[in-house]
Amino acid sequence: MNMTFAVETWDPAYGVSATEIELEEASNPVDVGLEVPADQWSPRSPDPRTEPPSSVLFVDGVRRVDARVWIQDVDQRSHPGVCATVAAGAVRCRPTSALLAVAQVERALYTAAPAASRIETKHGDYELRPIVLSEGTDSNQAIYLAVHNHMTAIETSLEVSAEFGEMIVFDGPLRGRESAAAVGYVKTQQVQYLPDPQQRVVLNLNVGGRTPIFLIGGRFTRWSWYMRLPGPRSHGLSGIVRIELAGLGRVEDAAGRADQITATLPRYASAPHKDARAPQNLYPIAGLERDLRHRLGDPMLLERGLRVAAAAAVRVDQKPRPSQLDMI
Amino acid sequence: MTNEAVTVGRVIGIDDATPLEFWVAVDPTQTLQLDDVVALDRVLPDGQLVQIFGLVTQVRARHEGARFQSDVFLISDGILPAEVSEAALVQPTRFEPEILLPPLPGAAVRRATDHERDVALSFDDVERRLPAGLSRSDEPVFLDLDFVDGTKGAHINISGISGVATKTSYATFLLYSMFTSGVLGAEAANTKALIFNVKGEDLLFLDHPNSAMEGDQVDRYRALGLEPAPFRDVGILAPPRKNDPNATPATGSRSIGVFPFFWTIAQFCQQGLLPFLFADSEDERQQYTIVVQSVTAQLSKLPEGGDGTVRFDGRTIRTFADLVDAIEAKLIPDDPDEAVDQRWTGRAVGAGTINAFIRRLASSRRHLEQLIRADIGNAERYALDLDAHQVTVVDIHSLHDRAKRFVVGVVLRQAFEAKEASGVARPYQFVVLDELNKYAPRDSSSPIKEILLDVAERGRSLGIILIGAQQTASEVERRVVSNCAIRVVGRLDAAEAKRDEYGFLPSVQRQRSTILKPGSMYLSQPRLPVPLLVEFPFPAWATRSAEAGLGSGATSGVRDGSGQGDDPFAGLV
Repeated sequence: MNMTFAVETWDPAYGVSATEIELEEASNPVDVGLEVPADQWSPRSPDPRTEPPSSVLFVDGVRRVDARVWIQDVDQRSHPGVCATVAAGAVRCRPTSALLAVAQVERALYTAAPAASRIETKHGDYELRPIVLSEGTDSNQAIYLAVHNHMTAIETSLEVSAEFGEMIVFDGPLRGRESAAAVGYVKTQQVQYLPDPQQRVVLNLNVGGRTPIFLIGGRFTRWSWYMRLPGPRSHGLSGIVRIELAGLGRVEDAAGRADQITATLPRYASAPHKDARAPQNLYPIAGLERDLRHRLGDPMLLERGLRVAAAAAVRVDQKPRPSQLDMI
Repeated sequence: MTNEAVTVGRVIGIDDATPLEFWVAVDPTQTLQLDDVVALDRVLPDGQLVQIFGLVTQVRARHEGARFQSDVFLISDGILPAEVSEAALVQPTRFEPEILLPPLPGAAVRRATDHERDVALSFDDVERRLPAGLSRSDEPVFLDLDFVDGTKGAHINISGISGVATKTSYATFLLYSMFTSGVLGAEAANTKALIFNVKGEDLLFLDHPNSAMEGDQVDRYRALGLEPAPFRDVGILAPPRKNDPNATPATGSRSIGVFPFFWTIAQFCQQGLLPFLFADSEDERQQYTIVVQSVTAQLSKLPEGGDGTVRFDGRTIRTFADLVDAIEAKLIPDDPDEAVDQRWTGRAVGAGTINAFIRRLASSRRHLEQLIRADIGNAERYALDLDAHQVTVVDIHSLHDRAKRFVVGVVLRQAFEAKEASGVARPYQFVVLDELNKYAPRDSSSPIKEILLDVAERGRSLGIILIGAQQTASEVERRVVSNCAIRVVGRLDAAEAKRDEYGFLPSVQRQRSTILKPGSMYLSQPRLPVPLLVEFPFPAWATRSAEAGLGSGATSGVRDGSGQGDDPFAGLV
């Protein structure tokens, strides 16, 4: 018998590995019987008359490693570190315009080296963000997490005040954001939350349809559901995204919000010829990421700046003492 | 330096900025449009300030952040974030001091106004400013008179297609500005202009106020320091009607204040005007030049018979027909055996050549007999006097091409010789001549072309200034055009605009020259590396009988229906 398979519509370069966070997620308890009883699960379509919000704010962050560095200790030991630039911003989409509402860029040196200090270069300064390594942790993994957390921190601290009735879509899981307006938008489905019978409903969703909502427990309680975005359908999970809301309030209110969000998002779905991660990588998020990446600065210039700064530090360090000069 | 000036944009860093052109990103709260004048500063490492001035010659807008054409729909639907960016291409006009450096990316660009605008357009150090029109933002544009009157350069050349380029209207506007702006000082009163009216009767009403001029035009004149009024002292000369024994001038719509002009037989013979009858490209191909020269020489020896006649072999010659007959008899004797007088034919000239000359001479009779005659009493009265009026309009539009050439050639020679004889350049004699391509064609020679070349090359020192115009500069003798310090271009034909003759127009201006509306011209002057777009006010003098308030019926107007629609310049040439 021939094997049935489908080629993922996403660019193969985006094969994302399951991270620690995602592995942790899989163990969270899930309650699927709240909107409808678990045995009555079926695809749901939001009322076509559902009013979309007056504006939608999309929040996202990007990060880039500018250089890996080695920091020498007093006792000549070398500690690894990373110089990275992270940025976060928000795009506000109204019926006739999509404009960057806010953007913030920060550069930092992430390292566990005790002798580390901030690095100043011609093109930008890297603030020190020290890492505390607990026993047995891989320092690379810790640095990666620190960069990621830094980015999330900027995302959360963005000084953008939501307008009345505005929906705020964060790219990625909510991770403890408690605002009622906040929506978590998860593009990749690495973790199966639902038991198999309910998971089959996901596979049978039509474009614009959603599953009943379910409650995810664990560290952060969230309402969640799956929905399908418009686009070519090569396999069961084509165009499927998972949405999160803060796990507050009554199930009826959460379901109403779910209908509104499910009706709103397909408008922003991207087309395959314009985005390598279509349709899940929404146009505003793709545009925002492009803009933010641009704001990260030219990587070659920054790397060169770091090399120049490193070389200058070595020269200062090895300056010959007057007595040595006399000897020459 | 005006630091408080609003920054309209900044020099772009991703396109090369050069001392010849650079792009400016326009501030989203500001706009820059074509022909705007801008300024910016650059501080050199030694602290010296260099100011760079320029003219906006192109503007563009685009979406930044969009990669596909269809992204525009996503952007206007509020789905894809993108930035609208506007940029303006600036061509520097001046560096002060002249240190030719590029502006630095990021440099703040401001609009040049008042004094800075004058500096940018090099008006600040022009002593004698000739108002030449208004910019599109209604600010005055000047010409440096030094480059018009021969001090540093002379002559003006105007190109553009008929009907919409308004070439002669602009030429008359420049004359008006010259006479009334005060730029000539006391000399204005004695400065003379000779205008050939080659098409229609547009120039026959220069001394009538224009009834079609609207009130707002008055302000445009005043913005230039001029008072709108018709020309004050105008003499209109027209050829006599054919077969009219009284030599009534042959004009259609104007009958009052028009004087006839013609030459007597005696003048024709003594001044050697015969070669001007042979000024066609057709004549150039013929061998009979030597016959023309010999006959001209012999005619000049004929004794006068009084009243403008000459005595020819014992007969009194009164009409051009008589003269032609007499010359014919001289060159082709009745008796075939009789030898031809070689003083009249030139040596060793074959019968065929003589016959060709005679045929050509005879064919001119029909077109010129009303212009060369001695059958009017007191003929001296009708001699052409270019000094009688400030502006002399010689109407030749109704004449046959051969007669036009004859008149233009003879009158130009008269003007040129008068200036040559006077020996002083001042007061100036301006000559306005349209259809230069007819009188100084690029690829043939004629006696008229010789005179025009003389005017173009020596007129500057003699004080005779040519304001020439033509549809296509590419068809005019190169030396005539290249001697003009001031070049003006109205609407150009698209194919013509590509020619090398318009090399002074940068490519954007060339493109724009094909869509210029009537009343707008590109003005190129030696002081500025970039041509300026000027609009000149609606003529304050009538350009047709209707505008002169003469009505159409009473004065037997035979204007064609060239329709005066919404466009105030419609019908002008």
